Amino acid sequence: MSLLNVVDLNTSYGPVNVLAGVSFTVEPGETYALVGESGSGKTTVIRAIAGLAPAQNGSVTFEGQEIRGAPESVMRPLRKDMAMMFQDPVGSLSPRLTIRSLITEPYRIQGMKDRDLDAEAKRLLEMVNLPTHFADRYPYQLSGGQARRVGVARALALEPKLILADEPTAGLDVSVQGELLNLLNDLRERLGLAMVIITHNLSVVRHVADRMGIMYLGRLVEEGTTETIFKDPRHPYTRCLLSANPEPDPDARLERIALKGEPPSLLKRPSGCEFRERCPFAKDICTQTPEWEVDGGHGLRCLAPLS
Amino acid sequence: MTDTLLEIDRLSVDYETGRGDLKALRDITFNVNKGEIVGIVGESGCGKSTLISSILRLTAPNTRFREGEVRFKGKDLLQASERQMRNLRGADISIVFQDPMQTHNPVLTIGQQMLDIQHRSKQSKADKLAHAAKMLGAVGIPDPEARLKQYPHEFSGGMRQRIAIAMALMSEPDLLIADEPTTALDATLEVQIIERLQELQREFHCAILFISHHLGVIAELCDRVVVMYAGAVVESGEVREIFHNPKHPYTRRLIECDPGHIKERARILPTIPGEVPDLANLPGGCIFRDRCDQAMARCASDVPPLDQLKEGHHAACWLNHEEATS
Amino acid sequence: MEKSRSELGQIIIGVARDPLGLMGLIIVGVIVFCAIFAYWIVPYDPIAMDIKSRLQGPSTAHLLGTDQLGRDTFSRVIAGGQVALKVALPAVFGAMAIGLTLGMIAGYGPKWLDNLLMLFFDTIRSFPTVMFALAVVALIGPSLQTVVFVVMATSIPTYGRVARTQTLTLRNSEFILAERSMGASMARILGVHMLPNIIGVLAVLAAMDIPTVIALEAGLSFLGLGVKPPTPSWGALLKDGYSLIRQTPWLVVGGGLPIILATLGFTFLGESLRDVVDPKLRKQR
Repeated sequence: MSLLNVVDLNTSYGPVNVLAGVSFTVEPGETYALVGESGSGKTTVIRAIAGLAPAQNGSVTFEGQEIRGAPESVMRPLRKDMAMMFQDPVGSLSPRLTIRSLITEPYRIQGMKDRDLDAEAKRLLEMVNLPTHFADRYPYQLSGGQARRVGVARALALEPKLILADEPTAGLDVSVQGELLNLLNDLRERLGLAMVIITHNLSVVRHVADRMGIMYLGRLVEEGTTETIFKDPRHPYTRCLLSANPEPDPDARLERIALKGEPPSLLKRPSGCEFRERCPFAKDICTQTPEWEVDGGHGLRCLAPLS
Repeated sequence: MTDTLLEIDRLSVDYETGRGDLKALRDITFNVNKGEIVGIVGESGCGKSTLISSILRLTAPNTRFREGEVRFKGKDLLQASERQMRNLRGADISIVFQDPMQTHNPVLTIGQQMLDIQHRSKQSKADKLAHAAKMLGAVGIPDPEARLKQYPHEFSGGMRQRIAIAMALMSEPDLLIADEPTTALDATLEVQIIERLQELQREFHCAILFISHHLGVIAELCDRVVVMYAGAVVESGEVREIFHNPKHPYTRRLIECDPGHIKERARILPTIPGEVPDLANLPGGCIFRDRCDQAMARCASDVPPLDQLKEGHHAACWLNHEEATS
Repeated sequence: MEKSRSELGQIIIGVARDPLGLMGLIIVGVIVFCAIFAYWIVPYDPIAMDIKSRLQGPSTAHLLGTDQLGRDTFSRVIAGGQVALKVALPAVFGAMAIGLTLGMIAGYGPKWLDNLLMLFFDTIRSFPTVMFALAVVALIGPSLQTVVFVVMATSIPTYGRVARTQTLTLRNSEFILAERSMGASMARILGVHMLPNIIGVLAVLAAMDIPTVIALEAGLSFLGLGVKPPTPSWGALLKDGYSLIRQTPWLVVGGGLPIILATLGFTFLGESLRDVVDPKLRKQR
């Protein structure tokens, strides 16, 4: 049984259709990356899964249990198994609480007062390689990397089965990004965690994700294992994204595929293939609406895929 | 007639705080020549914000200029009067900031703001608006005359940043300072902005001081690079030299850590362990010593000077010192 | 806990560094001291009459003279301070507590509740205070408690609105979202995470509000709607002094001067407090 199964998730805020039918599956122990530009809806997806954003249609099953639109009474016991990490490392920590209080917050919320919270705080800090005296510090006293690790510690407090991470490396210096990713990989292996990672940083995806899905305007346009996507991207948008990363080598001349213009407004979705107007490879057939087709684990929404 | 536009000469700046003096910049030395693109690579705490605010003389009240000069076209800006600085800002020296969402006045139209910027010009309003529309066109904003009547919130982040660049270039400055202009943008937009900057630089011949921690962008855009760490210049030189032949351990490790550099999926990613030192409590010797895997005994006691290793390539590391001075 | 203690210390030091703030601290300190120890330090019993000495001017025996019943004005001024604070402090802090709670619920809870509470606040605010006081006095008679009740009720919307705005601002911050993602209840989010972040602004508001409330109490007492004689009150002194102004102006001075001083003192203190608290909040965010 899959750990998380999202089928046709649809979210609208009034007239704005942010998620237009998103489907993907996450197996236990697997890391799945959702990639896309700002406005693609990727943050809305994980918030909708966690019940923090509305979802008017579709289905989200966690360990077989339907949770789309479920009331908090249903969600609360599940929150032991599903933890979230937010994009702003310092901003996602309540500013007036000590690190000790912040890390042990999950225990208190779930009513586990019989535990020795001091000992748990120590254990969690050690797990993320932070010195134990940090327990007495306040969020504003931490660097971005340290705050990020506190966020990881808090997410791990109740030994969840799934972590939803929103841009886990955003705001981190390059020299410490590796530290966080290594930590996540290590914990993943030791604890058998599954993860859904949201990011627009493709270079990070390569090193942490088993499978990835590329989103555009609230829909998945391509999905597959990380290796196949990087080696052989078939959707023009995926190709553009992959070619947009400048290499730290002045002599490298990437064959950059230029994307025209900006993503269209969600209020005026283009007809046919929604990527058509910006696609450097658009053909006549693209005025029709492409369907999602799966071929041997590789999903694609394109009428004129690249070979 | 010298080619040098901006000379930072042994600039040292402190902040007076309750905990003591924070040594934000120590002995910063580098040049920017006319029409050149110089990149400053640095992570958090390297001092780039202090550097920019020092050049523009827009510093916090507790800033103390301890030593050094900031010479622009031969004149030391640190000695200039506030009036002279005001005449320079937005005219000879322009700046583009990091967060496009915060740069523009939300209650004025773009047109009004672009008119404002031209306040020194004696042209008619119609001429100024035409100039503004032309600049918007140059940065790739479609239908510029109509868009001048719109407000900042009607534009996306990428467009706002392009408008900010248009505004900065309107006065045809000698020097454009770009402070992490693409950090808040997606990779696809970043690429568009970089290519646009390159085009505009070719057209306007301004020098650009480009600050970023994206190594890939620096490699693609810049002619020369200055690497800063915790308030000091650790290496500087031509872009090819820095990326293909880095001489400072920090530069080397930084390039190694950049995920774009690592082609195959790595089980364990490289990282520079440790934290940036507390600038109010400087360790003795080389500032990078605590995190350097090649540190020697000397590194703990003496601060390495910025040696010239070959023409145009400088590095501050005891490992190179013998080579440099022999 | 440790943080609050040292933070309070830092705030007091910050206020003391500002010359106006220091003045405010001193004035408020004196007023509070006199209010607490009033009945120990008064030279005469404020309600003791001595008809033989009525309407005297200032002298070594009576610093501000006497009133029409021979009572020592100076003692009545000091005792009046106790009344002023006995009204102001419970009224302001009561209003703050209730306003804070209702405001947080309005800002965080469902929209229908927000609309209901806003209607409630606006209704209260639309009553002229004095008419409201008249109505209440007609119902339960004039007394200290009446004044406290009237003042508290009319102040609640002010704190409620500010608390609501602050809550609305913080409602979508990442740390609140993070707490929700962990399953925290609304009570926990409001009490543990929202409250400490908005109380600073409300505390400053309260400090600035105290002089308004003191003046309000004085006004009500002046109209005869407040504390009953012979209880000394600055407003009552003004009332007596107003009709006796030809015989002795010192009653008006005795009633008016402390109100002016209290207003200045609390206002200086409140403004200095706001300057100190605001940048701290910004830095810590």
